[in-house]
Amino acid sequence: MNPAADPNSSDDALVRAAQQGDRGAFGILYSRYARMVHGILLSRVSYADVDDLVQDVFLQALPRLDSLREVSRFPGWLAAIARNRASDFHRRSKPADQLDDEPTEPAQNHPATSPRSHSGAEARAALEAILSLPETYRETLILRLVEGMTGPEIAARTGLTHGSVRVNLHRGMQQLREILGRKAAPLTGGEL
Amino acid sequence: MSTRPNDPENEASMTEDYLWNHSGTPDPQIQRLELLLAEFRHEDRPLLFPAGSSASLSRPRGVLVRFPWVPRLAAAAVILLAIAAGMLAPPRHADVPETGPAWNVSNLEGTLKIGSRAVAANQVGAKLYVGQMLVTNSSSRASLSENDLGEIQIEPNSRVRLLQTDPMHKRLQLDLGTIHAMIWAPPGQFVVDTPSAVAVDLGCAYTLQVAPDGSGTIRTRIGWVGFHLNGRDSFIPAGAMCSTRPKIGPGTPYFEDASVAFRDALHTFDNADQPSAAASAALATVLAQARPRDGLTLWHLLPRTSAADRDRLYTRFAALVPPPAGVTRAGILSLDQHMLDLYWNALDLGDISLWRFWEQSTEPHAGPAPQQFVPKKQLVLKQAP
Repeated sequence: MNPAADPNSSDDALVRAAQQGDRGAFGILYSRYARMVHGILLSRVSYADVDDLVQDVFLQALPRLDSLREVSRFPGWLAAIARNRASDFHRRSKPADQLDDEPTEPAQNHPATSPRSHSGAEARAALEAILSLPETYRETLILRLVEGMTGPEIAARTGLTHGSVRVNLHRGMQQLREILGRKAAPLTGGEL
Repeated sequence: MSTRPNDPENEASMTEDYLWNHSGTPDPQIQRLELLLAEFRHEDRPLLFPAGSSASLSRPRGVLVRFPWVPRLAAAAVILLAIAAGMLAPPRHADVPETGPAWNVSNLEGTLKIGSRAVAANQVGAKLYVGQMLVTNSSSRASLSENDLGEIQIEPNSRVRLLQTDPMHKRLQLDLGTIHAMIWAPPGQFVVDTPSAVAVDLGCAYTLQVAPDGSGTIRTRIGWVGFHLNGRDSFIPAGAMCSTRPKIGPGTPYFEDASVAFRDALHTFDNADQPSAAASAALATVLAQARPRDGLTLWHLLPRTSAADRDRLYTRFAALVPPPAGVTRAGILSLDQHMLDLYWNALDLGDISLWRFWEQSTEPHAGPAPQQFVPKKQLVLKQAP
């Protein structure tokens, strides 16, 4: 077994190995970063489109890995590809006469969410509340509340500093509580 | 606690440790959001490359595709190594070295033991390392946590060993007692070995109990759990429970709000080791008492009944839960796997592809993973014909 494709290898070692064509190493990177990419996409496009786009992001990243000179920048680089892929998806989804530099529509404007189980309506309402937040907050909150990543993990995976992630989580959560409070949605009580 | 109003770092760090890294006092609203929003979480699935692409790789373990004999060879090597390690291993009660990956241990009550060391109440910084056993007595309770996984509460009179922890696989062994698991890791990553079944988390919260005779019970509160032994599978969704027996494996799951007559009859049927008149009568009661929601139970009974019983079982099941497109009577009676899977998904209790993916991704690792702790008991099983 190639030691670089060891699941315990560092990201840097895996990126170097993947740059040299080691598909096993790239597979491990995929398993480590798929949640982050999924979360970034979910904060920008409809849930129904996210899974396909996750695959797209990694398939776009693989042939471009050679261009990444500092392997330690892989997390931020991959996050940027994911954000760009979401923007590109929106541009291509628009009719030609609407193509412009409008900011990306948040996902609640799409007939987005078809959750996996019948607890759906409440889950959808919670997701839509997050998607109404400013982009910075909604991405970080989705990584935390949907993808289950911790703050330190979000920082390590996205390349953001701990301080930025803390602030985004804190302020985002504060705004989310206000929205949920206004909607008086049944998110605070009941049997879990 | 005071803070400078215009210092965002300080502002953010003053509270909400739970929001930051799941530590501190859990915030009920955040926990509720986590549970709801897990619906939208990334599901583990292989990275698929386009056919004919130079980057062709059907799944992350691409090397296995090109060299299909590698998993078997690796598994054989690992088993041999494991057996050798077992032969050379120190006595079972020797302490496991406290190095490498570990989970955090909170002592909730009383005095517990990690290895041969006692951990007093309120002692901070305790860890459970791979290979170590945590034991609670009649008055102690503990909590295990791992950032990427979730939290596991251990009730009194329990024995739990940490077998494995890496980014993709977390594995405990519950020899005795009760644990309550609240898991936020992706489905399929957290597995608990018990003497009579393997419990696989599929995104959920559940309680697992093991009795001194090795039998077990699982109750799911959120999501669903897969119970597995020797090719016998049971899926237990929220609100349902399932028992398991040594050497036999998981019984038939049922919703806890089913009628007493239904549950008693199911118990009789499950415990009949041979087809018999009593078992057949019990099945008749199960069918008569079943509600549409009990399709859960009827689906599991399909492969566990004789051909004659299966025919009447299908008739009742189809009346309660209409078969989805692509499912035929003949297919179900012949236990066509694809049709059984389609029918399961029609119950809307969880997507069975999650389970199939777990099975697929686990199969090549028939032996223990290289960094997995192998208790002696397991080594003996490996050597058996």
